[in-house]
Amino acid sequence: MSRSDDAIRVREPAAAAPTHPSGHRRRAAGRRAVAPYLFIGPAALLFLSFSLVPIVIAVTLSFQETATLGEGEWIGLDNLATMTGDGLLRTALVNTVVFTAGTVPTAMLAGLGLAVALNRPLPGRSLLRAAFFVPMVAAGVVVGVVMSWIFNGDYGVLNNLLEVAGLDRVPWLTSPRFAMLTLVVVVVWTRIGFCMIIYLGALQSVPSELHEAAAIDGASPWTRFRRVTWPLLGPTTSILLILNVVFSIQAFDVIYVMTGGGPGFSTTVLIQYIFRSAFADARMGYASALGLLLVAILLVFTLLRHRASRRAEELL
Amino acid sequence: MHITGRQPPGTALSRRRFLAVAGISMAGALAACSGEPTGTTHLRLSSWNIPLDLESYQRIADDFVADHPGTSVAVEVTTGQFHQWFITRLAADLAPDIIRITPQQIGRYAANGSLLDISAAVPDRYRQDYSDAFWAIGARENGLFGVFQHTDNFITYYRRDVMDRIGVTPPTSLADAWRWPEFLEIAREVQQATGQYAFGYGWSGSETAYRWLPIIYQNGGAFLGDDGETPSMDTPEAVGALEFGRRWYADGLVSPSNMSKSGGGDVARNLFLTGQIGMMLNNPESIAQLDEEMPGEWGTAPMIRNVGEASDLGGNALAVTKSSKNPELAAELVAYLTSRQNVIRFCHDGNWLPARSSLTAEDIDYADNVETMQRFIDQGTTIPIELVRAETGQYFSSLNMVFADYADLCFLGELTPRETSEQMMEAMRSVTQR
Repeated sequence: MSRSDDAIRVREPAAAAPTHPSGHRRRAAGRRAVAPYLFIGPAALLFLSFSLVPIVIAVTLSFQETATLGEGEWIGLDNLATMTGDGLLRTALVNTVVFTAGTVPTAMLAGLGLAVALNRPLPGRSLLRAAFFVPMVAAGVVVGVVMSWIFNGDYGVLNNLLEVAGLDRVPWLTSPRFAMLTLVVVVVWTRIGFCMIIYLGALQSVPSELHEAAAIDGASPWTRFRRVTWPLLGPTTSILLILNVVFSIQAFDVIYVMTGGGPGFSTTVLIQYIFRSAFADARMGYASALGLLLVAILLVFTLLRHRASRRAEELL
Repeated sequence: MHITGRQPPGTALSRRRFLAVAGISMAGALAACSGEPTGTTHLRLSSWNIPLDLESYQRIADDFVADHPGTSVAVEVTTGQFHQWFITRLAADLAPDIIRITPQQIGRYAANGSLLDISAAVPDRYRQDYSDAFWAIGARENGLFGVFQHTDNFITYYRRDVMDRIGVTPPTSLADAWRWPEFLEIAREVQQATGQYAFGYGWSGSETAYRWLPIIYQNGGAFLGDDGETPSMDTPEAVGALEFGRRWYADGLVSPSNMSKSGGGDVARNLFLTGQIGMMLNNPESIAQLDEEMPGEWGTAPMIRNVGEASDLGGNALAVTKSSKNPELAAELVAYLTSRQNVIRFCHDGNWLPARSSLTAEDIDYADNVETMQRFIDQGTTIPIELVRAETGQYFSSLNMVFADYADLCFLGELTPRETSEQMMEAMRSVTQR
């Protein structure tokens, strides 16, 4: 007889013993019914307090004109109408698109390149992987402050190096033509590690037999990458693309610290404009309406990410 | 062995009793945290995160508590971006009783009811010891919403070696302050001496763009009209000031890194310390670092001027918030902190300039640089009341951002001064007509 059979035999009489069997069953059934709610309760409470209630308040505020977070004056769709004629909003949207277009493909390509390079036996491979990932865990504000010094036109390390090399100084942060480029470089640097790690995981799930078979058929390394690896990285690339777009649209801290949206409006992006409208301009209602616009944009990409995830699951 | 049957009452903690006890304990704990009366009246005072000042406030508050048995005062730190911090705490009714607030921040909150009238607690004699300009920071037609505790402003710092090289003796009195044409002439010589730039301006981020507004007033112009609300950047004097600012950059006298929106802290100070500029227009915050890194190698002169005099309106007021559960006591503490004796203590300990007119550097008994501190105190008298009204108005936070945007574009040469004036006026009107 197995030990589990023993256990069953011991439990059987106990199960038959209750004085009030129907009461016990009711209590047990009640406990079973309550248990899931107890488990999800804390998470639901947090979601309710810190997500759902603020969302409802933000939606409500978007139909009001108010300088504070309290009750304001109901103005219907006026905030929406203001948005359509807001030149600075248009600038912020264009800048957001430029910033996103600059950061996303660059970070992904660089991340993929590093992942491929660090997916083969190399001395100090783990150290290199960690080194490339470190910028990802650094706080955005810290990155912004350090980079402001590095890219400073007058006493920054970078321009001093250029000068030593006999080149002209570059107005990295003080020229409308260079400031956005500088921000893109900094953000790409912080994000390469993330892309690299995700791609590394995907590369390691590519079956080695496929590469071996292709090699036996005479495929060159480039052909093996193009015909075997890249198609299998498709789902990962889709998810990374959408995640990176979302990250770029939400990028705030580095830009706030390094350029404050300037020179002029050259690096003012949507999320920064929302912050400015809310706290510098004290237009909570308008800022909430802008926030809903941001949510709508992010929702599109979130839905796309959801579809990409499902596709990835189906393929794996 | 099975334990069956009910336990004798009181011998074991049943689950239901445990939950009941836990619930009661938690309710008690929450009640204790809620600030319900416990016999002591508690006040919270929030200040910028400057260790010396936090200690100083606490020491003065402890003396207040000693005179007011049954009270306690905790000094807290204002964290992050001020408006974000303050608005969210007001919304939760958790703002501190007393806040340290700049003149540029006070207007919005005095206008929207977030700050309380403290005139009943502030003795009438206080008004006599303040200039009209400094009293106007907290005073409104419907009450007194803050008392200016300490100030700072801009004067001219120079590197002694550079002045020696170009053979210039900087002025020492307000009456002899460099006029714009003279200053530009000297700046060109300084630029040749440094081989880089001539001077810097003490901005430290876009929120301090307003520090340039005195230049407009020096030229007889104004940022806002006498009512403190009507934009007036379209006057010839205001456009002339923008042209003056544009020349700083067009002639290479000031580094393009040195603009209000530039990151990296006080760029002017860094350029001065590294010898890339020979002069800077800046506030007293630089003194400690200059003393440490280039002792004896720097000097000061009055702020530049043109047809008029003006300097930056720096400093802080103390105000009582609407979240206060004990507003009378909080107002009393504000009056105590801004008493003559306590202003002396606070300015001495933190190296600040007193807002009270009767106090001199000798009264404050500064540990170092007494002459320089007196120069700052004297310069404070040149801050025009029209500038104070403009910067303490209800729209100023928004108008300051508009100024930062367009001044940047003008100084960089993206817009001409005339275009800047037109576009800035349009943006300012869109703010004041909301």
